[in-house]
Amino acid sequence: MIKMPDKVNAKHITEILDKGSIAMLSESELNEIRVHALECMSCRMAYEAARLSAVVIKSRAEAAIEPSPFFQTRVMAALREQQAVESVPAMLRLWRSAKVLVSTMAVTTAALAVVSFIQPAQTTTAPEQTASSYSAYSVIMDQDADDQMSYEQVLSTIYEDDDDAR
Amino acid sequence: MLVEEAAQEVFLKAYTQLGSFEGRGSFEGWLTRIATNTCLNMVRGAKRRPELTVSDLTEDEQGWLEHQSAGDGGEPASVENSVVATDLADRLLSVLSPEDQQALLMIDGEQASIKEVADATGWSESKVKVRAFRARKKVREAMEKLLSYKGGRVSG
Repeated sequence: MIKMPDKVNAKHITEILDKGSIAMLSESELNEIRVHALECMSCRMAYEAARLSAVVIKSRAEAAIEPSPFFQTRVMAALREQQAVESVPAMLRLWRSAKVLVSTMAVTTAALAVVSFIQPAQTTTAPEQTASSYSAYSVIMDQDADDQMSYEQVLSTIYEDDDDAR
Repeated sequence: MLVEEAAQEVFLKAYTQLGSFEGRGSFEGWLTRIATNTCLNMVRGAKRRPELTVSDLTEDEQGWLEHQSAGDGGEPASVENSVVATDLADRLLSVLSPEDQQALLMIDGEQASIKEVADATGWSESKVKVRAFRARKKVREAMEKLLSYKGGRVSG
């Protein structure tokens, strides 16, 4: 248990220390603390901690921060930028922010339309178009041309030429 | 630099919101309110330390603490010492919430009155007192821990 040489105890000391800045304590309060701290280790520690805390907090508040030489230029540039943004009509600002999304959606829709309506028609006509570019002779005699064609294309090319011959 | 960013933000806000200043209070008070709110918003994003230990301190900071606690601290503060003390203050303040930091720095650091802090922050005076009390207590306790880690070399 803490010794009580005066009418103060440890709790009372810490209450005094936390109540206000140590710089604002009256001389009688400081004396009261110092006398008590002589015989009470925990209060001595609390007083020392409060004193040092007050020193560093004061240093922090007094630290002068010099702005960089370009600070004013930067602030003015930011201000002009902000004013430029505000002078543009609301619909235009909306369009600027949404144009990428809208463009992407339009391109996607167009691509889907192409895939849905145009591509199937091309697929059905493709074998005939390809087959007509080869002759029955080239299919039979030219190994390279044969490799590039499907089995159906080979057959259709050969029989097409037969039909023509008849 | 965070301070410059904050200052720039305050200037821009003050300029663009100049029309909202109705002249009922002082211009300085209005500007302080903008600065306080802006800084609090910026500091809220900063990481808080739950606890501070001696290993978190630099050698200079440990030396400063040792020197100050061994002596009477009455010697004139050099620029170097001030920088170390300022860094140490930042470490100690990091255990507090931004609002508690604000209250402690304004009252204990800048010697502002409770009313001035209440006007600048928009808090009630009792809230300012509670914040300052709590902040002072936490900082003192954090400092006590640092001193006890250093072997309790405290001047009597």
